[in-house]
Amino acid sequence: MNSISDRAKAIASNQQAMLLFVLLAMVAFFTSQNPIFFSNAVFGNIISDWSPIVLIAVGQAFVIISGGIDLSVGSTVAISGVVSALAIRSMTEDGHGATYVLTIGFIISALIGFLVGAINAFLITKANMVPFIATLVTMGAGAGLAIVLTGGGPIGGGPDAAIQLSVAKVGPFSYPGLAIVALVIILGLILHKARFGLYTFAIGSNEFAARAAGINTKRHLGKIYMLSGVLAGFAGFYYYLRLGSGAPTSGLGGELQAIAAVVIGGAALTGGEGRLSGTVLGALILTTVTSGLIIINVAANWKQVVVAILIAVAVLLQESRSKAKGSKSLSNLFKKKK
Amino acid sequence: MTTTNKSAALYEVQNVSKSYGSVVALSGVSLKIHAGEVIGLVGDNGAGKSTLVKVLSGAHQPSEGKVLLEGIERSWSSPRAALEAGVETLYQDSGLAPHLSVSSNVFLGRELYVKGILGKLGFLAKKKMDQVAHENLEKVGIAVPQSNRSVSQLSGGQRQAVAIGRAVSWASKVIILDEPTNHLGARQAGEVLAVIKAAKERGLGVIFISHTLPHVLQVTDRIVVLRLGKIVADAPTSTFDAESLLGTITGLID
Repeated sequence: MNSISDRAKAIASNQQAMLLFVLLAMVAFFTSQNPIFFSNAVFGNIISDWSPIVLIAVGQAFVIISGGIDLSVGSTVAISGVVSALAIRSMTEDGHGATYVLTIGFIISALIGFLVGAINAFLITKANMVPFIATLVTMGAGAGLAIVLTGGGPIGGGPDAAIQLSVAKVGPFSYPGLAIVALVIILGLILHKARFGLYTFAIGSNEFAARAAGINTKRHLGKIYMLSGVLAGFAGFYYYLRLGSGAPTSGLGGELQAIAAVVIGGAALTGGEGRLSGTVLGALILTTVTSGLIIINVAANWKQVVVAILIAVAVLLQESRSKAKGSKSLSNLFKKKK
Repeated sequence: MTTTNKSAALYEVQNVSKSYGSVVALSGVSLKIHAGEVIGLVGDNGAGKSTLVKVLSGAHQPSEGKVLLEGIERSWSSPRAALEAGVETLYQDSGLAPHLSVSSNVFLGRELYVKGILGKLGFLAKKKMDQVAHENLEKVGIAVPQSNRSVSQLSGGQRQAVAIGRAVSWASKVIILDEPTNHLGARQAGEVLAVIKAAKERGLGVIFISHTLPHVLQVTDRIVVLRLGKIVADAPTSTFDAESLLGTITGLID
């Protein structure tokens, strides 16, 4: 009786097991190439790289499961970090204390993220733009604005306490890193156990059916893009803490890494399918590859090639699975929702 | 007063018209449905069936005319408002969310929550929904092996059965079924017709829209024929046979 759902569960858990296997294989490979890889310092560095990526990847997971895409997250990371840095610098010059300016800076970056998300939500749900185009617009505008505001360079001048916060304290985790882990766990519960997540899956699976069931699909989609924006704002602030400055280049290409993490984590780009644990592992695989390649002395630019190959493999696996199930094709991503 | 009460319709539209720009989709349509009655709504493509369904289900507001539920005039702001008042609609091909489980589909938009603060935060009582969904589907005569299974693992017939079972189990007054037997084999269509009969016995008003005239003749009490946005016939099913019904739909018989 249980065979089909058990088998489905087995495949789903196998996907997580497969990702874990890939991760461990990478750790083993990089360690064999250079034993320095297997150290707290490197793991701490990987977790520091992972923390902001997993934030935007988790937001992207909600968006992709709902059947959309958010290309603006990288720019949102940059603009929120930059605006926050400008505010922190000016408050510090006015003689305010570190706790105060960092708290306000944190709130500002979250608000900027929320604002970009709200613009995306407006363009998609009110102006009826396809998510691809709407977020392409905000991606370009955000990146441009970040450069205009900074003149292209990083904005420092904040309290030294900022950098202290991003030092690893608990194993490889800094305190902000731990906060991110807690947030990701909460969002995982919301995606898989609560109504907000269920509606996200329902809209990605069949938007018409969701609407016919009385769900306000536009409002729900709007909330998802705002969530993605806020998480990108958090990531912007995380980069500020880590670098002690806000730079328009922070978060550059973040959208690609976020999408890659979600896809490698097994979510379908056509919506309705995915697990947040997969996204978390997908982000970890990406950051491990990046650190590993540096440590074994492969030129940094190869990183992008390796990431691209990982995405290609993940999407091919995804396509062959959905073909087996007779699901809709990827090309739907560029079609307007009815 | 007493006489009108006795024959009071469960659901009624009075003199309803609906235009889209200069296109008149419905003109002066009046229709009554009583509790425990199955009416068949038939008509050729473009006769106005879909528009009438949208007005009845709350998806569209009529340009003119009234909609009355249990004698009280209603103006549905959305399908949700109609659902909450007990008017359930199964749209043609609206289908289900294939990635979700049977029970998530059955409860979509009406989820059950865990007790306490987590429930207030929107955390779902999945086990409970699995169990109740199974019971509700069984109650309306639909046997789906496991309600925690994802809909994509069901056959086409099973999916349609779940969609109908979902609508019938939630409807408290009126159920509108738009082409529920489309794309179904004979045996599965028979099961759907049995579900319609069971809904009638529960005292629901059933509006059955179909192109498959034998199904309409088999299961309805009364047939309403639409042609070019107007009702051209509204009579007990016993007064029609396959030939006269087809003639009325096409306009060969007036």
